[in-house]
Amino acid sequence: MKKVILITCAAIMWFSTSANVMAADGAALYKTKSCVACHGKDGKKGMLETYPSINGQSAAYAIQQMKDIKSGARNNADSAAMKGVMNMVNDEEIKAIAEWLETIK
Amino acid sequence: MKSKNLLALSVLVPGLMISGIITAAGGAGGAEGKAELEKALTLKPDVENGMDIYEVCAGCHLLEGWGTADGNYPQLAGQLAGVTIKQMADIRGGNRDNPTMYPFTLDRAIGGGPQGLADVAGYIATLKMIPENGVGKGEPGSEEYKHGEKLYKENCTDCHGAKGEGHKEKNYPRIAGQHYKYMVRQFEMIRDGKRRNANEDMVKQIKGFSEKDMQAVINYTSRLPVPAKDKAPSMDYKNPDYD
Repeated sequence: MKKVILITCAAIMWFSTSANVMAADGAALYKTKSCVACHGKDGKKGMLETYPSINGQSAAYAIQQMKDIKSGARNNADSAAMKGVMNMVNDEEIKAIAEWLETIK
Repeated sequence: MKSKNLLALSVLVPGLMISGIITAAGGAGGAEGKAELEKALTLKPDVENGMDIYEVCAGCHLLEGWGTADGNYPQLAGQLAGVTIKQMADIRGGNRDNPTMYPFTLDRAIGGGPQGLADVAGYIATLKMIPENGVGKGEPGSEEYKHGEKLYKENCTDCHGAKGEGHKEKNYPRIAGQHYKYMVRQFEMIRDGKRRNANEDMVKQIKGFSEKDMQAVINYTSRLPVPAKDKAPSMDYKNPDYD
């Protein structure tokens, strides 16, 4: 019984920590992983007309695009510019950034 | 000096909205790019204006110009101005392929034509370098370090200098203090012919290098000491020009 409680506690702690990391870090990661340089403050203004604004975008869609650009499955238009920096983010960070962007109206 | 706001960034610099397609024309084209480079190298930098321009660069290379140890962005701080001018002119002139950097080298991001290149490069040269750059695994005294030292002395000193200080007149980069992983990436691109503005002699020079040689020589390079006067006092240092 003790063991079960311990594991449950550990699991809760792990989940809550990683959830906090996501909520807190999406905005910070957006800057430190250099997204801001091309997509502008809060993802609202691409630095070239061919760069999309990405605020308010569905997180699920953004996650898929980021993963596809990272893997090379998506390689159209200027995605080469983004592929060059995608090795800076892991899946968890991608998710955190996408979920934060989705909240920006 | 004016107060700066990193969040307001580059992206808001007027005139950035003109459309552009990175992958198409590749800039002004080889010859024009070379002419612009020659011109920019002769100009006296306006460092104050360079500081204003640098805000754009800071989005990736950071306000301190330290880049990232993961190798994505090189340290720019302390680089010889001519080297920085050459790389920017080459990228926007279509002589070096760098799609991530390309839009930021355009005149609408920098402004002022060749003078703008000279100004921002002049400013970058004044920045204090990172005190702890990314280094390779081979500690001084290790086999890897010694092997790298030997290779460096045999192959690199003529152009990059015994201390990795670079060559001002020939625009060979300062490589002491540069992040290990960035240098590995560039070395591989130069070796594999992917960095089109690479020095041809260097391409030949490193042809016989094995993977192990490469890692060793770059490990040694990444551990070359940077003079104290060029370095920031600590990792907590913030660029005082942008307070």
